[in-house]
Amino acid sequence: MMNSQTALQTSGHNIANKSTEGFSRQRVEIQTNLPIGNGKTRYGMGSKTAAVTRVNNSFLERQIGNERSLAGFYDGKAEAMARVEQVYNEQQNKGLNQFVADFFSSVQEMANNPESLATRTQVRETADFLTKDFKRVHSQLTDITRDLDQQIVSQLEEVNSMAKEVANLNEKIQQVELSGGHANDERDRRELLVKQIGDRINIRWAEGKDSTVTITAGNSAVLVAGYDAKRLEAKGTPETDTKGEGSVDIFYINNERAAPVAVTSQFVGGKIGGLLDVRDKVVTELLTDLDKMAYSFAANLNEVHRQGFDVYNRTNLDFFELPQNLRHASANMKVSNSILEDVGRIATGGQMASAGDNRVALKMARLQQDKVMGGESTLDEFYNSVVGKVGIQAKRAETSSDSQRDIVKQLANIRESISGVSLDEEATKLIEYQKSFDASARLIRTADEMFDTVLNLKRM
Amino acid sequence: MRIADKMNYDQVNSGLQKNRSELSELQNQAATQKRVNKPSDDPLATTRVLSARTNINASQQYLKNINQAKTFLEYSDQSLGELTEILVRAKELAIGQSTDGGANAASRAVTATEVEQLIGQSVHVGNRKLGDRFLFGGYKTTDAPFDPRGDYRGDSGEIRVAINKEADVSINVPGSRVFLGQGIRGSRGSATTGSGLSPGVSPNSLGGPSPKNEAPLRGPAQAAATDSALPTSAAQTQLSATWRNEGTNVFAVLQDLEVSLRTNSKEGVQDSLDRLDEALAQVVLARAEVGSRLATLNSGTENLTKGVIDSKSLASSMEDVDTFELVSNLTKSESTLKASLESSGKLIQPSLLDFLR
Repeated sequence: MMNSQTALQTSGHNIANKSTEGFSRQRVEIQTNLPIGNGKTRYGMGSKTAAVTRVNNSFLERQIGNERSLAGFYDGKAEAMARVEQVYNEQQNKGLNQFVADFFSSVQEMANNPESLATRTQVRETADFLTKDFKRVHSQLTDITRDLDQQIVSQLEEVNSMAKEVANLNEKIQQVELSGGHANDERDRRELLVKQIGDRINIRWAEGKDSTVTITAGNSAVLVAGYDAKRLEAKGTPETDTKGEGSVDIFYINNERAAPVAVTSQFVGGKIGGLLDVRDKVVTELLTDLDKMAYSFAANLNEVHRQGFDVYNRTNLDFFELPQNLRHASANMKVSNSILEDVGRIATGGQMASAGDNRVALKMARLQQDKVMGGESTLDEFYNSVVGKVGIQAKRAETSSDSQRDIVKQLANIRESISGVSLDEEATKLIEYQKSFDASARLIRTADEMFDTVLNLKRM
Repeated sequence: MRIADKMNYDQVNSGLQKNRSELSELQNQAATQKRVNKPSDDPLATTRVLSARTNINASQQYLKNINQAKTFLEYSDQSLGELTEILVRAKELAIGQSTDGGANAASRAVTATEVEQLIGQSVHVGNRKLGDRFLFGGYKTTDAPFDPRGDYRGDSGEIRVAINKEADVSINVPGSRVFLGQGIRGSRGSATTGSGLSPGVSPNSLGGPSPKNEAPLRGPAQAAATDSALPTSAAQTQLSATWRNEGTNVFAVLQDLEVSLRTNSKEGVQDSLDRLDEALAQVVLARAEVGSRLATLNSGTENLTKGVIDSKSLASSMEDVDTFELVSNLTKSESTLKASLESSGKLIQPSLLDFLR
């Protein structure tokens, strides 16, 4: 009867945890008791509950962990790329492509009629819009990096708290299993946590003989060892070649006294890895391209503009205030103040005192077709190829994320097939054990009746 | 395979999710009527659409340029037509006074006054304005190019306008050329773009429906002789008279005629006749040049308009939805969703527990 009850209890536990994530169904292992007797006659002594174990395939779990980590990576990447791509989406809104075209159209209009203040004003306005759109793209991209940083920080917090829980579970499991038990639920929970940490960051993990797991994040940051959990911390650091000012680096804190170790570059997997990938590779490259484009545009235009004469017969004038550095040129470029104040200072002519001379204006307009991007492509071609690149990256991240998710889903299906709870099965078991409980009870009643019979013998 | 309950639910969930996202994607396409709504929908198409749009923008601007150029050139042509008439009238007068038969000192004095008026008229033509711009001042479009005596104060600048990606056309005839006869044969290097193009029409924009293959450098005079219908056949035969670097100063010719008439010099008047012919040929040549440029502009307009349409249809074929396909896809997705909803309902329902009374 005790056995049946244990079994019923376990079924109840299984049913209750039918939807618990990471739960493995549990099974009562019933063994026969040692028979007793002497000689030829040995009596079976019934059964005993040997153990309650869980049905679980640890290799599968490890595989799921790895695939989930990859899925996390692509997820993070796809999510971030979807936002990056929106910056370059000109299907609905005006973007750089349009503003560049507008600018050159207005320059041609000015070349058609250099005497007119209206056409000159138009050039100033379109140039101003163009610089503003360069700024918009720049600031949207930096906003995205800032956002990615925040996500990284919050993901790291989760990793830290989960690492702490894993360390606690290590302790519990060790205690339970040292005394010979099976820490089923704790193990399920620990496995789930390890997988969830893996979703966020690339880890390696192994279970030791003492039933504790050791988790190493990246290559060298030992996150959990025995009962101890270390921390990963994200802190803003100065600008480097791969990231902007104030973007976070990840530090490993071994103990409070030791100096934090920078480990950012080790994280190439999990969601954090995906976010870092977009932040440090994709967005950085895009910003560089954007700066290059803005700088080349401004520098080339200035070069032509300097050859010209404005309406006051002055020459060698700049159209744009050229940023000092290539870096952040897109954010810092602007139309020169003198032109903003007086459109007469736009130099259109190739000689003095010739209001109708449009030679320099024409040359400026021709820049649209000139291969100003390092002699290889025009502004348009360059920008379009950037858009194409972003599109391809976003698409690839999305497809990878989708297919990786499918893989994880398949594996999860297999896992459920092994470890998942089936209500039908549990119901069958319930009936089975209920019956054996009934039978055991009947047995006891029979024994009781027999005993009664014995007790009543002398009265008869 | 052992089937756990969670598998069923997960499957139902992800299946429905997939159907729904497919449907929402299609609905988005239906709403925007665009197949490409963000670069990742079709990166290649996105870049091609972008460059098509740049082309459309540029072509439309070139069309605008051409229209402006046309206005300028047509007005120049008209003004030069007037100048031709003035010169023809002067020639008539000169012929009438070139012999002693029908003319004497008095009639020549009267005619001289008329010639003086003609000089005034031609100065007036030289100072024609389109809007605020003087037609014949070269680059100096804001000041009157001729003073009342016919002295030129403009320059020889040719104002160019881009008419397509490669070529530009000058929209003016500088007064120094048509009135003073300077640099007539176009031997001057191009002062404007520094790219070595001859004045007038740039090499690959000349005439013909397929201008890009037509590389030879044709000077304006040659273009004039072949491309454009000259107003009078007489002028055509005299074209050769102007084949020299220094042309005729129209004002000087008229002024000399006036002086000859006033001084009653028959020889002077006869002398003027030849020079008047030369002046006429010069003006007619300039008109021919203007005409050939106009022809270029017209064919340019056709090419550009065609280009715009091509680019537009390219962009449309790249980014717009095929409505029939979309509708059929929508229907398909919808029925898939319905089917999976139905089967899901059946899948989730039964369990052994339902049958255990």
